[in-house]
Amino acid sequence: MQINWQLRELNLKIVYYGPALSGKTTNLEQIHARVDPTHRSDLISLKTHEDRTLFFDFLELELGRINNLTPKIHLYTVPGQSYYEASRKLVLRGADGVVFVADSSPEFMHANKVAWGDMNIHLASHGIALEGLPVVLQCNKQDLVYAVDPQTMKNLLNLYNIPTVSAVALRGEGVLDTLKLITKGVLTHLQQQQVYA
Amino acid sequence: MNMADRNPADFPVDVILYPGHDKAIRQVLAELAQKCPVEFLLLAGVSGQPIAFEGDKRDTNLSALGALLAGDLAASQEIARLTDQYQSYQMILREGRLSTIFLSEAGPFMVLFARVDHEVPLGWARMLILETCRQLADIASARPDELKSLDLGLHEKDLSSLIGESLDSIWSG
Repeated sequence: MQINWQLRELNLKIVYYGPALSGKTTNLEQIHARVDPTHRSDLISLKTHEDRTLFFDFLELELGRINNLTPKIHLYTVPGQSYYEASRKLVLRGADGVVFVADSSPEFMHANKVAWGDMNIHLASHGIALEGLPVVLQCNKQDLVYAVDPQTMKNLLNLYNIPTVSAVALRGEGVLDTLKLITKGVLTHLQQQQVYA
Repeated sequence: MNMADRNPADFPVDVILYPGHDKAIRQVLAELAQKCPVEFLLLAGVSGQPIAFEGDKRDTNLSALGALLAGDLAASQEIARLTDQYQSYQMILREGRLSTIFLSEAGPFMVLFARVDHEVPLGWARMLILETCRQLADIASARPDELKSLDLGLHEKDLSSLIGESLDSIWSG
């Protein structure tokens, strides 16, 4: 988080985390495609030759003046491939909130669990306790025939008090709901912490 | 361990800039731009959010540049950590045909990007940029006197819903 009092600007960093191919970049692509271009930056993607995320994707949203305050939301994704473990850790640095994009395919439940565990380790290495960080679970690819339902996924991941969104990011379903939910979570957390005072 | 020798990854990364900070930062950047001289400067938080710039930014997207600088610096710091070579105020140098780019830590919370004409001697530019980075770090760590008179309006109960409405309004569905 960065606060600039002179400009009355509040900058928030939200990271989309999850296993490989779960739809993190798709979320940002959908936001980029659906948000008024005057209120967003270009989508920056550092990709491999195979079109997979190498380091991160980045998109900034500018919400305009609200209560004499200008909030700017900086969205990042992490690379999902296991090879890029070190990069994932770096992108999490300074995160104000995390969207965990889980893949609803039954065969991906183990990958979801591993990614969740790794995320916890990386956050801890930055001195961030998961209990003190706003997190939203997005159960993506709910259109799959054998998709695991969100409640079962929460149980499998042992996540009971985390806000959850059912999504089909490829069609844009659940993408805005996820964004609103994590933004709200981050702001509520900020207000509770009163770090700005 | 001395604070200055610690890897910034070990620090929290909240950057809070007060009006007094802002003015001092702009002054220091303007001085560097004139003295070196520097074509373009961007100061960003280590999480990538732009703080201030000076000089000819052309059509550069500052937010995108800030995010890439933060990523670049974080990767470089991690490389240094893995090879046991970390030191504070580390600098990355890129020599181009027309300009040289410097990327330097400005204390634990900020990163400074400087684009310098290739005719400016590297040693001169490096010395001035490092000096500026130390000044910037000092400015950001100073506690302002104006705390009590400031109010960002973050305590507003309906702020979350207002931001939710704002997101709805820029979403084309």
